[in-house]
Amino acid sequence: MVISKKGNGRTIAKINQKIKTGDAQVLTAEEMKKLVASSGVEVAYKEVDVVTTGTFGAMCSSGAVINLGHADPPIKIQRAWLNDVEVSHPGAAVDLYIGATMMSDTQPFEYGGGHLIEDLIAGKEVEVRATAYGTDCYPRTKLNTTITKDDLNQFYLLNFRNCYQRYVCATNSRDEIIYTYMGKLLPRFKNATYSGAGALNPLMNDPDYETIGVGTRIFLGGGQGYVIGEGTQHDPNSRFGTIMVRGDCKTMSSEFIRGAAFTKYGTTLYVGIGVPIPILNEGVAKKTALLDEEIFTDIIDYGVPRRGRPKLGKINYKELKSGKVTVNGNRIKVSSLSSLKKARKIAETLKTWIANAQFYLSAPAENLPTDSVCNPMRQTEEIAFVNGVTHAAVTCRDDEDIEAVAQRIISKSVNHVVVINKQGEIKGIVTSWDVTRAVAEGKNRLDDIITKKVVTARPEETLEAASRKMAQHHISALPVVDRDKKVVGLITSEDIAKLRGR
Amino acid sequence: MKKMDRILLRFSEENVEEPITAQVILELGIPIRIVTATIDSHGGDILVEVPAVHVEEIVKAFRDKGVVVTFPKLIDVDCDKCFDCGACYALCPVDAISFDEDYSVVFDEKTCIGSPCGLCVNACPARAIRLVEQHSRNQK
Ligand code: SF4
Ligand code: SF4
Repeated sequence: MVISKKGNGRTIAKINQKIKTGDAQVLTAEEMKKLVASSGVEVAYKEVDVVTTGTFGAMCSSGAVINLGHADPPIKIQRAWLNDVEVSHPGAAVDLYIGATMMSDTQPFEYGGGHLIEDLIAGKEVEVRATAYGTDCYPRTKLNTTITKDDLNQFYLLNFRNCYQRYVCATNSRDEIIYTYMGKLLPRFKNATYSGAGALNPLMNDPDYETIGVGTRIFLGGGQGYVIGEGTQHDPNSRFGTIMVRGDCKTMSSEFIRGAAFTKYGTTLYVGIGVPIPILNEGVAKKTALLDEEIFTDIIDYGVPRRGRPKLGKINYKELKSGKVTVNGNRIKVSSLSSLKKARKIAETLKTWIANAQFYLSAPAENLPTDSVCNPMRQTEEIAFVNGVTHAAVTCRDDEDIEAVAQRIISKSVNHVVVINKQGEIKGIVTSWDVTRAVAEGKNRLDDIITKKVVTARPEETLEAASRKMAQHHISALPVVDRDKKVVGLITSEDIAKLRGR
Repeated sequence: MKKMDRILLRFSEENVEEPITAQVILELGIPIRIVTATIDSHGGDILVEVPAVHVEEIVKAFRDKGVVVTFPKLIDVDCDKCFDCGACYALCPVDAISFDEDYSVVFDEKTCIGSPCGLCVNACPARAIRLVEQHSRNQK
């Protein structure tokens, strides 16, 4: 038997003893931060046994495993749909996985796997449709039935990546509204969005994963579940840790599991997670005192559809939660996509459970890795971008006359002249055809022949996207402009054809 | 800026030809702003904005002339569906959406301008927001 030295930290076993007798001291992360601020870490460590955390946000890498039980005659399902949402069939006859982002065939973008999981948890009846090729042991080729959660042998939430430690703040430089997994982003930096509970986030309160690992019991969707390892894309060095979780859906509540639809992006699942942090030593106590203003994240331009989206600045969660951020010198409103109200409710609920001895802590069998890296994809196919084929544009100023422009078209032997103002910003485009016609019609003001609504490309766009634009608008060239509308060059359909013919 | 209230005026086939709105403005000497109108010779609706301090007199004047007056609800938020994420908050151009101290998301129905805007509607991941159709034409 090992006898721990007096005062040398708490153990999970000791805390569980106190939970049993109703003597455990439990605070939510928000309460703990206040206590540390008023009384110091030492006192907080002595007084507090457990700190509860919470988060409620869209977590796309979520889903549920279900087992339907065998039909008679039996079927080895090949493809199946629940409420018209195709589910995958990764294993034996009647095991299915409902992916949160799978969309309904009949109501795509509005109803999906996330909603299906919510409906099942809420006790609703869902329609099952399946097809199979038929075998000697599983002769059936078609199945139609309805089920509720009570008819399922197993119904487990099984999420590959949840609970991002923190996330970025998104905004949009483009001239049009874009619809992303970070929500609806208005043109030209008119709004921003962020996600995450900041200082209430489970992993942020144990940023070195000293207490969280495989087997940690957690609040999951209103029931009790477990951490089963680090989540996919777990990136501890950049403080973008994630967890993989599992929990019995039959004990969950649709208050904390919600299907959701992101316009023009797809469906997902909002998941409520709360992790109890045992205050094993003073170091752990100190880390739970982390404040919103100490958690920073990047403001990212989602207008650039690339892996390495441009960073526009840094911001902390205190500012984010205030609802306003400064982007490019302007104060704009910033929306949270995850619910702070529910995150708080989760931390409170977990606290009550522990205080009432309805929830005991578990020691992890293995801690989350602190040294793994998240690499980009290995790509064997070369992707061509606009900046690879952009050449210098022949330009003219918006106050020049047509004759000068005509001269330039001849001397440079080009078809397109980009019209710019004094600052080099794009004002329009003129083609050799426009000039010819102007001469024929006796026009001599450049302004009368400029095409002012110009379709443009950005240097970091893919060539595929640029040529799609040209085809759509029946045009043969695109001026290339940067974020400030300054002309950086021109690409033509000829350039693209040449590259393809290589 | 003076606080304005919105009222919905519903005209019938019988009274739509009469210049009732103009008469009310002239009689009371109070300006009325027309927000939207869907109206033809068979009747229809006009959504107007009036100074909040005069709303009672104006409603009475219209009712006396046989116009049906209602206070429109431009937006409807389903509280059971809403999970207080706030995705709608930053999109509102008139600051009709805010957070209260416990992070509940609150809609100010009187400030919302309704269908001419509608920016928040498809930004709601819970699909909890609905614009309330104001115009009753073709609903006979
Ligand atoms: S419809 Fe427009 S004005 Fe009304 S709440 Fe939504 S964003 Fe605000
Ligand atoms: S976006 Fe929808 S769910 Fe989120 S707070 Fe607004 S109304 Fe509620």
